[in-house]
Amino acid sequence: MSVPRGVLLLLLVLLFGFTLVNCKKELTLSERVQQLSDAGLKKPVLRFNGDKFRQYVKGTPRNYSMIVMHAHDEFQLVANSWRYSQGYSNKLFFALVDFDEGPDVFQQLRLNSAPVFMHFPAKGKPKKVDTLDIQRVGFAAESIARWVAERTDIQAFTFAMTSGQMWNHIRGPPFLQKTQAGNIAYIHGSSQGQFIVETYIVAMLNAAVVLGMILMTEAANKRDDVRKRRIYAIIGLGLVAFFFSLSLSIFRSKAHGYPYSFLLK
Amino acid sequence: MGRTQAKTMSSMSSPLGVKSLLVFTVLMLAWLAGFLSRLFAVIRFESIIHEFDPWFNYRATAHMVKNGFYNFLNWFDERAWYPLGRIVGGTVYPGLMVTSGSIHYILNLLNIPVHIRDICVFLAPIFSGLTAIATYLLTKEIWSAGAGLFAACFIAVVPGYISRSVAGSYDNEGIAIFALMFTYFLWVKSVKTGSLFWSSMASLSYFYMVSAWGGYVYIINLIPLHVFALLLMGRFSHRLYTAYTTFYILGLICSMQIPFVGFQPIRTSEHMAAAGVFALLNAVAVLKYLQSVMTRAEFRHFFLVAAGTAAGAVFLAVVGLTWMGIVAPWSGRFYSLWDTGYAKIHIPIIASVSEHQPTTWFSFFFDLHILVATFPVGLWYCIKNINDERVFIVLFAVSAVYFAGVMVRLMLTLTPVVCVLGGIAFSRLFEVYLKEEEQSRPQSGDSSDDDEDGEKNNKYDKAGKLRKMKHEQQSSNDGLGVNIRSMVIVAVLMILMMFSVHCTWVTSNAYSSPSIVLASYSQDGRQILDDFREAYYWLAQNTDTDARVMSWWDYGYQIAGMANRTTLVDNNTWNNSHIALVGKAMSSNETAAYDIMTALDVDYVLVIFGGVIGYSGDDINKFLWMVRIAEGEHPKDIKESDYFTDRGEFRVDAQGSSTLLNCLMYKLSYYRFGELKLDFRTPHGFDRTRNTVIGNKDFKLTYLEEAYTTEHWLVRVYRVKKPDEFNRPRIPVSQRKVKRRNVYLTKKTSKRRRGSIKNRPVVVKGHRPKTKLT
Repeated sequence: MSVPRGVLLLLLVLLFGFTLVNCKKELTLSERVQQLSDAGLKKPVLRFNGDKFRQYVKGTPRNYSMIVMHAHDEFQLVANSWRYSQGYSNKLFFALVDFDEGPDVFQQLRLNSAPVFMHFPAKGKPKKVDTLDIQRVGFAAESIARWVAERTDIQAFTFAMTSGQMWNHIRGPPFLQKTQAGNIAYIHGSSQGQFIVETYIVAMLNAAVVLGMILMTEAANKRDDVRKRRIYAIIGLGLVAFFFSLSLSIFRSKAHGYPYSFLLK
Repeated sequence: MGRTQAKTMSSMSSPLGVKSLLVFTVLMLAWLAGFLSRLFAVIRFESIIHEFDPWFNYRATAHMVKNGFYNFLNWFDERAWYPLGRIVGGTVYPGLMVTSGSIHYILNLLNIPVHIRDICVFLAPIFSGLTAIATYLLTKEIWSAGAGLFAACFIAVVPGYISRSVAGSYDNEGIAIFALMFTYFLWVKSVKTGSLFWSSMASLSYFYMVSAWGGYVYIINLIPLHVFALLLMGRFSHRLYTAYTTFYILGLICSMQIPFVGFQPIRTSEHMAAAGVFALLNAVAVLKYLQSVMTRAEFRHFFLVAAGTAAGAVFLAVVGLTWMGIVAPWSGRFYSLWDTGYAKIHIPIIASVSEHQPTTWFSFFFDLHILVATFPVGLWYCIKNINDERVFIVLFAVSAVYFAGVMVRLMLTLTPVVCVLGGIAFSRLFEVYLKEEEQSRPQSGDSSDDDEDGEKNNKYDKAGKLRKMKHEQQSSNDGLGVNIRSMVIVAVLMILMMFSVHCTWVTSNAYSSPSIVLASYSQDGRQILDDFREAYYWLAQNTDTDARVMSWWDYGYQIAGMANRTTLVDNNTWNNSHIALVGKAMSSNETAAYDIMTALDVDYVLVIFGGVIGYSGDDINKFLWMVRIAEGEHPKDIKESDYFTDRGEFRVDAQGSSTLLNCLMYKLSYYRFGELKLDFRTPHGFDRTRNTVIGNKDFKLTYLEEAYTTEHWLVRVYRVKKPDEFNRPRIPVSQRKVKRRNVYLTKKTSKRRRGSIKNRPVVVKGHRPKTKLT
């Protein structure tokens, strides 16, 4: 059961590894990388206490990613797969902080429950999405996989397809066009054709509508600060209404004789 | 349409009876709305079969109803693909014909006499209702009943599906989308339950799908993909094992019963994925078993070896079988989905069809409207709350959106999943926004309303309500506020309203033309152009019953269906070289074309010409494809570049290339057109479709003669002359070299019947030649 999972996770971990490129190296950095690599060769999962955590995880600059979490069998498995995989490099390390060894870390990160998975990307601070919400998704290797899958690009793929990128790929239209009057046309005048920039605009409009819908739904769904949620709901509504009517008006300008419009002409 | 109403009700804890009544009502209304919005064509024109392929389906159905099912399976159609003929029974998906044939049979048993044509015309609208129900069931399995009702209402009216299922569009897709959705529902159900019953039902439904449409290949690849993805995610279960093994074996055996499919499921690459996943699933099941008896370390070692060997063996087997020719490689049509440039280069016959073109964003928006922007929301929630069946819908969405991007036609497979996911998105939104409204009611102290409800309903219901209030009090501070909620609800309802208005508009304007009868709108109202039927009727009445009519393949089915004459090529484009021969005849000059036409025994040639009324779908506009297809088979005789000007333009005016201006298609389209003055403002021979004056106006036809031209010149029929008709041209007497003297006129009358012998040797007496006497 756990072995095919391991294979999958290996892929996912590789995915992380590849996101980390071209960072500057400095002396202290190389030292740290060296230490980490040595430790990583011995044990796939590094054990940190508070000091080490600050030194290796919080210290900047880093050119490696760090995934930090509480001890667990499945996590060990991911780390093992990573350690013995072909793509193993010193760009990604797995580390473990035990509450007993580093309570200050938990305070620092304002964590009041364990286990928690956190991804510290090579650049910048961890964002909200970099924390895996255990309460929400349950605790299994596949839920880690899901967490990663959420951030992959199925959505992007659908936007690319529904905005006609395939048509661009096959027909090779111009990026933009100059009209006779000398203006730049972003939108192809007829329903038979499209420009490349036009498809980007449409993809963005669709994405904005989707974002608005999700914001609206989540605003009503969550149990959070009410003012924040109200603002989210209004922003979501605005996004949906405005960008949908915008794409409707672009559609209208291409379909001659289409009678309907919403908000915008 | 009662969408929101249903939503609010279902979230209340109403008794089961009311709930199912509501579901029933909404589904019925969806069915009714879907049925009615598909009737534009019948109301505006008449109850008539549309377009091209439906004519063949109708002809085949009529044949089956007349001669019985077994005669239909053995039907050899000598009226198609002259001189080859076509084995119809073995080259057709009979599901459509069998469906309407059995409806006809049942109605006749009940003494309801309905003409088979009316059944054919109304079959697709009726099945759209069944599709709505199947979509409801699928969405209910994947998400919730409320989302299912949304999805059912969406699919009932969404233009992407209406485009293939208006009344009169009697085509495979009309029933196949129902079969597709129903198979998917049964599959999801069988994965969820792991019961033999559901998976057997799934394979039976798959059998119906195979009998109905070539798109069944999509199912037999998507379901294995689902299984494969579940295996990769470590979601193997015995439910999955039961479901897939049953489905695969039964489905395989069933699908091989269709004569057209035959041994393809075990011999072509399109079906190999299913077999591979079957092997893999069994291997995984064996490993699972071994895992339970081995130690962990042993198993790990064993697993690596076994998995490697098994994967290698399967791969080598498929490659080897393909190489040996036992398993056919991918067919061109399938291959062109992956390598998007392939069709244009290698198979112009596929690329020439307008519905095989890639899809612009305009088409997506046109066919799906708000759903194109909102279905990623449903996708998002499905990925977020993933389980076995949602993996399926995600894979369905991702693959369908890719295919729809490659080919306009496959928008049809995207539409159902978009409706499902759009239904999920909207249902989730309304769920949270309407639920809060309900909760906030007691909060605002409106108790009279609550009491009223309590009086109407029974006691169990009241208890349910009270519990809800309690729950509400805990989170009473979390409400978004009535204003925001109602704003959101009203705005989203407005958008949904626009969606339904859009659907009606698109259906009415774009998808409800029979394309056999054209209508033009002007100040004086509507004008009906019935040229196609006029020409086909002329053919039926004025030509020999075995006359062979040559036309471009688009019109083959119509000629066979309406004129009942033999055609050379038709829309079943199974023989590329035959089509290329016709294309070559059309693109050669008259003399070369005559040789081809004599070789093919052509009696009549039919061309579609839109220059008089400005109809853009005519043969001159399709002509480059004829040239391309002909060039593919006869590269020495036909070259596409000859038909372009030096600057690479395709034009029919005086600057057009001389090859074009003298080819058969040009001459047949523009014969005597130069004499025609359409308008006071335009010169003679002005082509309204291409907005130019034609380049070659005065020419005579040597080998053909005009037989019939319809009222608006839309269809022109020419008769091919027999050799004695043009081989002996009349030379004026003054120019004749051999002049006949003493023209003999007979003197015979009815009274004087004595004949005489012409040039009888005459004995001249009494004259002796003078001789010199010496």
